[in-house]
Amino acid sequence: MAEIVSTINAGISQKELRLLEQRDLTTTDKLLRRVIVFLPALFVLIHLAEHLFFPSNSNYKPSVAYAGLITLFLVALIIWIGFSYFSYRAFEKLRHDSALFIAIAILLTAYDIATLKTGALALPYFPWVGKVLDAMIADKSKLWECVYHSFKLLFTGYFAGVGIGLVCGILAGWSSKVQYWIQPITRVLGAIPSTTYMPIVMMLASSLFGGAAFLIGLGVWFPVTVSAMNGVQNVQKHYYEAAQTLGTNRLGILLRVVVPASMPTIFTGLTQGMSIACLTLVVAEMMGVEAGLGWYINWQKGWGDFTKMYGAIILICLTFILVNTILELIRKRVLRWQNGGI
Amino acid sequence: MAVGNVEIKDVTKIFRRSDEQETLTALDNINLTIEPGEFVSIVGASGCGKSTLLRIIAGLEKPTIGEVTCDGEQVTGTSVKRGLVFQNHALFPWLTVWDNVLFGLRSTGRVKEKKDLADQLLGQVGLEKFKKSYPNQLSGGMSQRVALARALTTEPDVLLLDEPLGALDAFTRMNIQDALIDLWKTREKTMILITHDVDEAIYLSQRVIIMSPRPGRVVETLKIELPYPRNRSDSNFTYYRNHILEKLDLAQKGADVEYVI
Repeated sequence: MAEIVSTINAGISQKELRLLEQRDLTTTDKLLRRVIVFLPALFVLIHLAEHLFFPSNSNYKPSVAYAGLITLFLVALIIWIGFSYFSYRAFEKLRHDSALFIAIAILLTAYDIATLKTGALALPYFPWVGKVLDAMIADKSKLWECVYHSFKLLFTGYFAGVGIGLVCGILAGWSSKVQYWIQPITRVLGAIPSTTYMPIVMMLASSLFGGAAFLIGLGVWFPVTVSAMNGVQNVQKHYYEAAQTLGTNRLGILLRVVVPASMPTIFTGLTQGMSIACLTLVVAEMMGVEAGLGWYINWQKGWGDFTKMYGAIILICLTFILVNTILELIRKRVLRWQNGGI
Repeated sequence: MAVGNVEIKDVTKIFRRSDEQETLTALDNINLTIEPGEFVSIVGASGCGKSTLLRIIAGLEKPTIGEVTCDGEQVTGTSVKRGLVFQNHALFPWLTVWDNVLFGLRSTGRVKEKKDLADQLLGQVGLEKFKKSYPNQLSGGMSQRVALARALTTEPDVLLLDEPLGALDAFTRMNIQDALIDLWKTREKTMILITHDVDEAIYLSQRVIIMSPRPGRVVETLKIELPYPRNRSDSNFTYYRNHILEKLDLAQKGADVEYVI
């Protein structure tokens, strides 16, 4: 035993440590752990073969672009499997995600069979994924324009709301005089979704873009203001006192103590604000603004082109996932001191 | 070396509890003179107002009656001349150890000229390897060492220590006590330590001020005439310990019935 301990102290790799801790796994368990990482690739391969070679319903056709995309995914999985032989973390991650990948592959296969192969779910309401992809590629310049416009509107509204919200919230938390005037506004406006004002704002605003940006900003402003105010008010007293005894003036305390100390609370407001911004964006685009993905969905519905509509919905999903991922990365970076990780 | 003198004149502090009509006399007519470069400890049971007294010296609280002067100047607010180390270290968790230590220098715009001092102090408390760590990654003792370095970088004349070792385990406490003596000898500061640990007070200070609770009063001022480094099992040490404990016990019995706070 002492020998093992001295080996450990001599510098043991993360992998060896894990293996030591997993020594009570049976051989079957270990074998299963190795085998499971191959299964996602196998199921994706089955889906690919099914899509390309299984006979399709009457005049339906499989999509080459879709097959290409699935192939890319398959290649990525194979590279990952290869990599997992060298990196224990990659192996664990793949093993962890395997069940999810398998489920997705089975779902895609089942949907493909129900639509493209048998026509049990019929067009125009149920296009197969490949058909949606083809439609997106065919209409790509229009879609890019919509994505660009949606992004522009989202960011304009979001950052305006965040900026004003931070200033209002931090000052309201800092000074009771500012709070006296801000709090009633948040009490009244906070209870009402900003989309309520959509008809009147769209009528009064000089540009539809400006009106929609205003509504998004208003929706974001509320949670950001409230969270910043709460964050500032809950800064622990001894931080102020420590800064004071170190000769920091009031402005210094505000910027170097109060703001960073309230960051964790502020970020909950920023995240909440982002989901409100996404919601308001889609509603605004569907109701008034004549550009963007929300508008595109409505427009295609008018033409009865459900395939293109699904394409836009997929793009909206991807857009929001991307935006929220970026926000999460920023949060992790700014609040890295919370976990004590470097 | 004549700076760092603290004079407490007729200081009384009365608190009024917001939920009730009654008032509480936390400090009752305190008079004390602390010489430049002196190491003084204030001991007393909880509720004797010793922390309040320290906060008044720091300028974080105002006395109801009386005044505190530091080098002849009346204390009206906080100042870099009087550094404070808190019981819970109060390090800024969003800053690295190094940025915490430099905090005061950044506030007073002296980072460039005093960077070496900050480096030296961090070395003296034994944490130069942890410059880039965040406070959440440090143990309680390490955090308190950083807090000591942080309070000393601004070069205060008086260092106020508000039970800085109260929350630490016995071994860590002894280590940091030695670090404190080392800092006091090399930096030549006036040190005022609040503690409820009698041994700590005798081990560290030249003078021990014994306070009684409710109302907070000075019972006795005792000179500790032992050479440094002191030996905790020395017979004189034991004598001081017994004497102080006896005084504290009497002070406790003479006090009003304890309030439920």
